[in-house]
Amino acid sequence: MSIASLSAVTEAQVAGLRQAHPGAFDTPLRRLRRWAPLILAVIYVIGSMWYFEFGRLLDASDRVLRLLRNFVVWQDMETWSYRQIYVGIAQTLAMAFLGTLLGTIGALGAGFLAARNVMPFGIVRQIVRRILDILRGIDSLVWGLVFVRAVGLGPLAGVLAIFVSDLGTLSKLYSEAIENIDRKQVEGVKATGASQLGVIRYGYIPQVLPVFISQSLYFLESNTRSATILGIVGAGGIGMIIIERFRAQLYDQVAFVVLNVLILIFAIDWLSKRVRLWAIGEKHDP
Amino acid sequence: MTYANPADGVPGDAPRDAVSTYERHRAELRASKRLWNIVALLAFLVCLGLSVWISQFYPERLANGLPRIFEYFGTILPDLQWNLLFEGRTPDGRAVPGSLTFWYTDFWTYLALIWETILMAITATLLGAAVAFVLSFPAAVNLAPNSWVYWVSRRFLEICRGIPEILLALVFVFMIGIGPLAGVLAIAIHTAGALGKLFAEVNENASSRPVEGITAVGGTWAEKMAYGVVPQVAPNFFSYAMLRFEINVRASSIIGFVGAGGIGQELNRVISFYSDDRVMAVLILVVLTVTIIDLISERIRLGYIGRENFA
Repeated sequence: MSIASLSAVTEAQVAGLRQAHPGAFDTPLRRLRRWAPLILAVIYVIGSMWYFEFGRLLDASDRVLRLLRNFVVWQDMETWSYRQIYVGIAQTLAMAFLGTLLGTIGALGAGFLAARNVMPFGIVRQIVRRILDILRGIDSLVWGLVFVRAVGLGPLAGVLAIFVSDLGTLSKLYSEAIENIDRKQVEGVKATGASQLGVIRYGYIPQVLPVFISQSLYFLESNTRSATILGIVGAGGIGMIIIERFRAQLYDQVAFVVLNVLILIFAIDWLSKRVRLWAIGEKHDP
Repeated sequence: MTYANPADGVPGDAPRDAVSTYERHRAELRASKRLWNIVALLAFLVCLGLSVWISQFYPERLANGLPRIFEYFGTILPDLQWNLLFEGRTPDGRAVPGSLTFWYTDFWTYLALIWETILMAITATLLGAAVAFVLSFPAAVNLAPNSWVYWVSRRFLEICRGIPEILLALVFVFMIGIGPLAGVLAIAIHTAGALGKLFAEVNENASSRPVEGITAVGGTWAEKMAYGVVPQVAPNFFSYAMLRFEINVRASSIIGFVGAGGIGQELNRVISFYSDDRVMAVLILVVLTVTIIDLISERIRLGYIGRENFA
């Protein structure tokens, strides 16, 4: 077949090619198949917007405007009891710190128990893993609510909630880190006749410690976020102050507190990145 | 040291100096490392002390609290009896205590709420992903038409993901009333911020050659994005959106705590007002739902990516 120049292609040739290679040309059916997911998604969103009564957002426009004005116009700033606000922020940080610390300590034990290459008894490993799955499956806010019922309002419930949900997640990450280590170092330590404990101390710990530290610092960062909202269910910290003042319709103060929290979270992000780099070097940063 | 120093015959003692310099330097390094370790330890202890003091996390309070925790978990366990387990309702419509029917009296209410929760997550993910998709092109440093568009879209996405969903939900519940719409909007905004950042990062890693090709034939900015970038990044976008969907199912199951719809509203109610097997009943359903959705989504993700041959 000779190659015709572009201008010399006739309609008949195109029709012939269409017949010869039907796969190379778009047909309405194929176009439909390509666009179908998008069309379905749009239909679904419109339908669900109707189901969720989207119109209520438009009806509420005067309340939206009122709320936005209240957020921006700050009144009687000298009566805002800043002490309470900053104590709440300090409490949030303390909850995140203690919760992460306890979670790390617990995960050190549970992580080794759940790692295939350390724990020889499959049944223990499976039980530990299933318990961790349950701890992880329930959100920290639910744990907060449960612990508020169990030990009362206040930061203790928050610390326990962060501890339990961290225990679930960190143990899983730790056990994966332990399973992914290099066998050679462990065998080297074993060859010297070291005890099981000695093998863990000199064969495993040096390899997994950087990963552990980096994960825990990362969790400290994300727990600061969780700790700010745990107060919404009464588990202490700044969230409690936010929801109290929101219910008391002090929206300008809510805006101020939320602004402070956002600055705090950005600061913690920055600081934790710094500490991570200092403690373990660039290569282990997730 | 007993071995002969090969440098002994050489006039002057430069090598001996080298050894002692090395030893001195090593001692210095060790001392500085020890100092830093002590500083880090002190900082840690100060943080620990402050945290314990501020949050009143004292051993005696913990010792008082722990038995109550176990007591509480004892009260929410269902009282099931093996011989009555599958007993249905009696002719007058009452469930027999000790049977599954009694434990899950409100099963169909819970199921309807879980269905609503899943719908909320799907809608919020679609809405959020649509916004994220549109904003991810101006928020990618290599694709943004100019620097202030880039700056504005980046900051906008940061604000969207900076505010926790539940706070947004609180505000929306105040504005539009109790119901799932508030939850959907709150999760959608957060999703737009989180996915927008990930999408923009994918865009930044896309090859510039197709874009240059379309520039060469005179394509507009929108055409460059549609034909040059989208086909490259679509599989990655899809996989991130599915991952986000899993996160959103979790989020929409708790966002009801502030009245924004879904199973969370019921969960909040049963935990706050009752201390019995109803709490366990709802918790089990929530964990099951989240786990099943995770498994399904993982299969879809792996299937799709496998088909696209995309690692």
